[in-house]
Amino acid sequence: MEIKLAEDTFLTDDFLRQLINVGEVDILVGLPTHNNAKTVGSIVKTIQSGILRWFPRERAVIINADGGSRDGTPELVTSISIDDVRRGSNPYALRTLHSISTKYASSPESPAALRTILAAAELLQAKACVVMSPESSSIEGEWISKLLRPIRDDGFDLVTPTYRRHRFEGLLITNLLYPMTRALYGLRLREPYAQEFGFSGRLGGEFLSQNVWDDGTAGSGIELRFTLAAITARHRICQSFLGQKDHIERRGSDLVPALRETVGPLFSALEPDFPVWSAVTGSQPLPTIGPDHEVLLDLVRVNRKRLREMFTTGVAELATVFQSILSPATLAELQRIAGSGESDFEYSTELWVKTVYEFAASYHQSVISRDHIIQALAPLFRGRVLAFLMEHRNGSAEDVENGIESLCLEFERLKPYLLQMWKSRE
Amino acid sequence: MPLNQDVLWYKDAIIYQVHVRTFYDSNGDGIGDFQGLEQKLGYLQELGINAIWLMPFFPSPLRDDGYDIADYNAVHSSYGTLEDFRKLLDSAHDRGIRVIIEMVLNHTSDQHPWFQESRSSQDNPRRDWYVWSDTDSRYKGTRIIFLDTEKSNWAWDPISKSYYWHRFFSHQPDLNYDNPAVREQMWKVMSFWLEMGVDAFRLDAVPYLVEREGTNCENLPETHAILKDLRRRLDEQFPGRMLLAEANQWPADLRTYFGDGDEFHMAFHFPLMPRMFMGLKLEDRKPITEILQQTPEIPPTCQWSLFLRNHDELTLEMVTDIERDYMYDSYAEDKTMRLNLGIRRRLAPLLDNDRRRIELMNGLLMSLPGTPIIYYGDEIGMGDNINLGDRNGVRTPMQWNGGWNGGFSTAEPDQLYAPLIQNPVYGYPAVNVLSQVGSGHSLLHWMQSIIAVRRSTAVFGRGSIEFLHPANHRILAYVRRLGNESVLVVNNLSGAAQAVELDLRRYKGNIPIEMSGKNIFPRVGDLPYLLTLGPYQFFWFRLRRI
Repeated sequence: MEIKLAEDTFLTDDFLRQLINVGEVDILVGLPTHNNAKTVGSIVKTIQSGILRWFPRERAVIINADGGSRDGTPELVTSISIDDVRRGSNPYALRTLHSISTKYASSPESPAALRTILAAAELLQAKACVVMSPESSSIEGEWISKLLRPIRDDGFDLVTPTYRRHRFEGLLITNLLYPMTRALYGLRLREPYAQEFGFSGRLGGEFLSQNVWDDGTAGSGIELRFTLAAITARHRICQSFLGQKDHIERRGSDLVPALRETVGPLFSALEPDFPVWSAVTGSQPLPTIGPDHEVLLDLVRVNRKRLREMFTTGVAELATVFQSILSPATLAELQRIAGSGESDFEYSTELWVKTVYEFAASYHQSVISRDHIIQALAPLFRGRVLAFLMEHRNGSAEDVENGIESLCLEFERLKPYLLQMWKSRE
Repeated sequence: MPLNQDVLWYKDAIIYQVHVRTFYDSNGDGIGDFQGLEQKLGYLQELGINAIWLMPFFPSPLRDDGYDIADYNAVHSSYGTLEDFRKLLDSAHDRGIRVIIEMVLNHTSDQHPWFQESRSSQDNPRRDWYVWSDTDSRYKGTRIIFLDTEKSNWAWDPISKSYYWHRFFSHQPDLNYDNPAVREQMWKVMSFWLEMGVDAFRLDAVPYLVEREGTNCENLPETHAILKDLRRRLDEQFPGRMLLAEANQWPADLRTYFGDGDEFHMAFHFPLMPRMFMGLKLEDRKPITEILQQTPEIPPTCQWSLFLRNHDELTLEMVTDIERDYMYDSYAEDKTMRLNLGIRRRLAPLLDNDRRRIELMNGLLMSLPGTPIIYYGDEIGMGDNINLGDRNGVRTPMQWNGGWNGGFSTAEPDQLYAPLIQNPVYGYPAVNVLSQVGSGHSLLHWMQSIIAVRRSTAVFGRGSIEFLHPANHRILAYVRRLGNESVLVVNNLSGAAQAVELDLRRYKGNIPIEMSGKNIFPRVGDLPYLLTLGPYQFFWFRLRRI
C-alpha cells in the first residue's frame, strides 16, 4: 500500500519563510483583511502602540491574512514592522516587531483567514493570541491588553469582548445569537460572533486540528464556530469590556449575508454539538472584566413602514416555504400578525423563539435547501426587529436590557420545545 | 617575544584587565603583588593576550579600591616596590605583553598631601589646586554619579570651612584643571611612568575635568583642550604610547574624545556592553545593531575598546529607562545585585553559568569592531560574591587551583584581602585554572583557541563592518573586511536552533571556510545562503575567492 507522505498545504512557502524569521513568539495579533486600506493603517499603528505599551518585553508578531486586497492593505500592515533595517523605525522599542502578511487563495468570505492565523499561531508557539477587526474605527491600544491579559495572566482560553453599544445596534446579536447560544450552550456570552477576541495557543491549536475547514459547513462565520468549539470543549472563557465600538459599514445593511454569516454557522454547529447542548439547562454568567454591556441612548430613525412591508410581503410570498419549515400553529400566528394593523403589530418573544427553534430544527432536517432556510428567516427577523423597536422606542437603557433578558429567558424556557422539534424531525 | 613595534599596536591587542591585589600573592601576606603577577605572566602569555591593564596600584587609603590616590609617583607597599613594578614591566615586555596602567586625573584622595595643603588655609599655594566654594549651590545642573552614597557633588570641609567639589565619593576631591600648575603637575606624573616604560594609560573619569556654570560639567570643550594637550606632549615625547579614555557617555559624545585623531587613541564603548546582554536576553539583535548604527565613524588611527565585564558594576547609565528596568529584571532580580545604576556581577553568573552563552558573548566581544578586554577570572568562568559590599564582590582572589586559598596565597584564609568564592558552583574547588588546564574542553582552553583565531588575522582589530540584516532577527550577522580579506560572522542570539538566509550575493563565488575547524562550506551563489545554527551558536567564516 502506498503511504501518502506529502500533502497539500494552505500555507505558501513565502509565508512559511517569514514565519521562520519570526520564530517563537509570546503573543500574536491576527488581522484578517480585504481591501481595508482606508482603516487598516491607523488600526495597525494602534495595535503596535498597544503592544509597545502593554507588552514591551514580549515577543510579538502581527499576522495579516489578506483575501486579495488590491488597495495596498498588506503593504500598510507590513510597513509598521520594527526592525534594525529601517533606521529609527522605533528606537524606544526593546524588540524587533515583525508585521508580516500573506494572501490566501480563496474568497474573502472563506474561513481561510482565521485558519491562516491559527496555523501561524501554532507554528510560532504563540501563547496568547488576539484577532482584531480591520474595520473597527474606534479601536484603542488597550484593547490588545484587555483581550490578551486574561489569557496570559489568568489562564483563560477565550476572551470575548463586550462593548458599549447603541440601543438598537447589533439587533441580530441581541435578538438571536446571544439569547440562543445562551439558552443552548448555557453561558451568558454577549458576543458569540466577535470580530475582536483573544484566545490561547492551546485553544487555537485544538480548533485548527478540527475537521471544520473542508467539511463544507465552514464558510464565513467561522469565528462563531470557534466560540462554540471553546464552549463545548469546556475551555475557560471570560469576557472583557472594550468600550465603544464603531465600525465602517462593509456591505451596506444586507441582511441575508449577515444571516448566512451568523445563523448559518450556529445552526450547523447544533448537529455536532447536540450531545452538549441537549444536556444543558439554564445558563451561567461568565467572568467578566468590566461591565458585560453598556447601552448608549440615541435617536434612531427607523422606517417602520418599510420593515413591516418586508415582513408582510415575506410572509405572503414565502408561505409555501414556511409550510415546510414552521409548524402550522406558528405559521398561522405569523400570518395573523402580518394581517394586523400597524398600531397592533406585535411579534411576541414566545412566537419569535418558536420561530427560530423551528427554523433550527428544519435546518437540521434539511427540509429544503439549507441556504433557502436561512434566507427565509430574513423577513421574519425584520418583523421581530420592528416589534423590538416599537416596544423600546421610548425605553431607557435598562428597559432595553430588560427586554433582551426577557427574550433570553424565553429562549431558555422553550428549549424543551426545540428538543422536541429536533427529535420529532429526526 | 619582542614587542610589536607597530604604533597602532593597540588595534591588534587583546587586553587582560587585572588588579595586582587580586591575582597572585608571592609573599604570603594575603594580598596579591607585583612579584606574584610577574610569576603568572606565563599563564597570560599562554592565554594569548598581549596587553595587561593594571588597576590602580598607587599609595592610597583604599576607600575606592585605589581610585583614591594619595601619591602618584609611588606604588602601594602592599603590592611591592617600585623596583618590583619595573621588573614586572620588563618581564611583560619580554613576553610581548604591553602594560597599561591607570591614571586618575580627575581627583585625588582626600589624604593626598596636595589636598591636605589645599584645605589647610585659604592662602596655601595649593589652595587653588582643588575646586572650592563658599556655597554648595554652584553647578546645579550636574548629575550625581554615585547615587547610592552621595547626596551632592559638594562636600563641606570643616577644616577650611568651605565646600569642595567631588564628582565621585566625597573623599575624592576633584582637581582644579583651570589651574595651569595642576595641568603641568599631572603631565609630570604621566611622564614619570612613561619614562619607566609604561605603554599606555587608561585615563579614568575624563569627562569631568573642568566645571562651568550653566552646563552639566561633562564633556566640556575646556576638558577636551586639556586632553589634547596631554596627547600632543605624549606624541612628541613618547611616540607609540597610547591613551585609553574612560568616558561613560553616548556614542556621539564619546566621538569627541577621539578628536581628529589628536586626543585619545582608544575609548571604551560603554553603551554597547549592556546592549549585548540585552540582545542576548531578548534573543534579538536590535539593541546591538541600533547602538552600532548610532556609533559614529572614528579617525583611522583610533579604536573602540570593548568589554563584557570589568571591575565596576555593569553600568546601565547609557540605556533608556525601559531598557534599564528590563536589564534589572533580567539580570538582577535580587536587588542586592544592584549598585548605583548598574549590576555588580561577573560574566558567568550573569549568564547563569551557561557555557554556550558565555562562548557566544566572548565571540561577539572578539569579532565586533574594537579591541577586546577580558576581565581577570572570566576566562575560567569565575563567580562573584554579592555579600561583599560595593563592587568588591567581583574583585575576589584569582582561583588558581583547588587547594589552599585556591592557590592564590599561602596566608591564613582570614588574612586574605577578600574571601575566596566558596560556593559549590563557582567556588575555587570547582572553578580554577589548574583543573581547566587539564581539561581539553574547559572554558580556558576554549578562550585560548578563540583568542588564537582572533589573532590569526588583523581583520577583527582593523577591519570595517557591514551588517547583513537577515529577516531572522535572532541572527546577528556581519562581514568584517580589511583589504582583500573578508570574514563573515554569524551569531545565533537565541536559545533555540535557527535557520537563516543570508544575502551574500556581493560575495558570490567565495568559499566560506569556518575559522576554528578550517572546514569549507558550500560556495556562495546567487541564492540566499542558508545556514542553520544551534542554540547560541556562532560561526566565523573566512571568505576565500579561489
